[in-house]
Amino acid sequence: MSILKRLDELVPGQGGRIASISPCGNLRRKLMEMGLVIGSELMVIRVAPAGDPVEVLLRGYSLALRKNEAKQLILEVDAA
Amino acid sequence: MIRAALIGNPNVGKTEIFNRLTGLSQKVGNFPGVTVEKKAGMLVHRGREIEVVDLPGAYSLTAHAVDELVASDYIVLERPDVIVDIVDGINLERNLYLTLLLLEMDANLVVALNRWDMVAARGMEIDIEKLSELLGCPVVPTVAITGCGLEDLKDSIVDAAGQKRAKGQGAALNYGDDIEQLINKVEDVIKECTALNGRYPERWLAIKMLEGDERVMEQTRAILSSSQLADILSIIEAEEAAIK
Repeated sequence: MSILKRLDELVPGQGGRIASISPCGNLRRKLMEMGLVIGSELMVIRVAPAGDPVEVLLRGYSLALRKNEAKQLILEVDAA
Repeated sequence: MIRAALIGNPNVGKTEIFNRLTGLSQKVGNFPGVTVEKKAGMLVHRGREIEVVDLPGAYSLTAHAVDELVASDYIVLERPDVIVDIVDGINLERNLYLTLLLLEMDANLVVALNRWDMVAARGMEIDIEKLSELLGCPVVPTVAITGCGLEDLKDSIVDAAGQKRAKGQGAALNYGDDIEQLINKVEDVIKECTALNGRYPERWLAIKMLEGDERVMEQTRAILSSSQLADILSIIEAEEAAIK
């Protein structure tokens, strides 16, 4: 069973598969250019105290996202 | 003189390679119209003079960021003889996105597979011959910080400059039947426009027009005849209506 969660709701060590990317236009394009495409797997490495930024591991590299960008990514997370 | 341009994602060792290629012969200036630094230098290899321009680091080539715009304008409008795409060997998947965009521009490409020492150190293996075959361009392993592989890279630049790549020789990304049909339709209109002939790679231009790239639309509006522009816009409009 997997459930859908926003990226900013995950804690370090949790990860999942990208199910949808909410924004359209330039932000969506930028996120996709950075490797965040539907179906790609990522894991949260660490989160700054206020939840901004969030560092994720993706395709073997780490990527830091602003909270408002992380909110736009919906992940399929295995419900443990 | 061979005109070569270096491009690659940020932090792949591009500037280190540039410094090693050109030594102390660099000149720093600006790209016209924007305050993005332009560094150019000269080297001589096998009796040929090579001018090398270091383009800004970029993940992609859209018209939204000034540095990406500088890079894509330079490639499309200045048409350097050879583009050297510096790729981080330990982040191949991410870096190849830019490589595919460059192939789409019909760039005469040489790929420098940098951090080759790290690839082995991390226990990774990359089949260089296969990669070169898939991309349709030479792939040269390099280690920028030690200068390893740079002589091979210079050889490849001279060789690539000697043989202009035939159109469509590189790997083209297939966008799937429905979009490919659309690309072909727009490309046909573009090919009919003699004023555009040879100024832009046709397939790339067709894709950019379908994306609605503002920069490209602006540049081509003056060149395409109004009926040709209308043709292209109606193709796009019809398809958008069909999708909805």
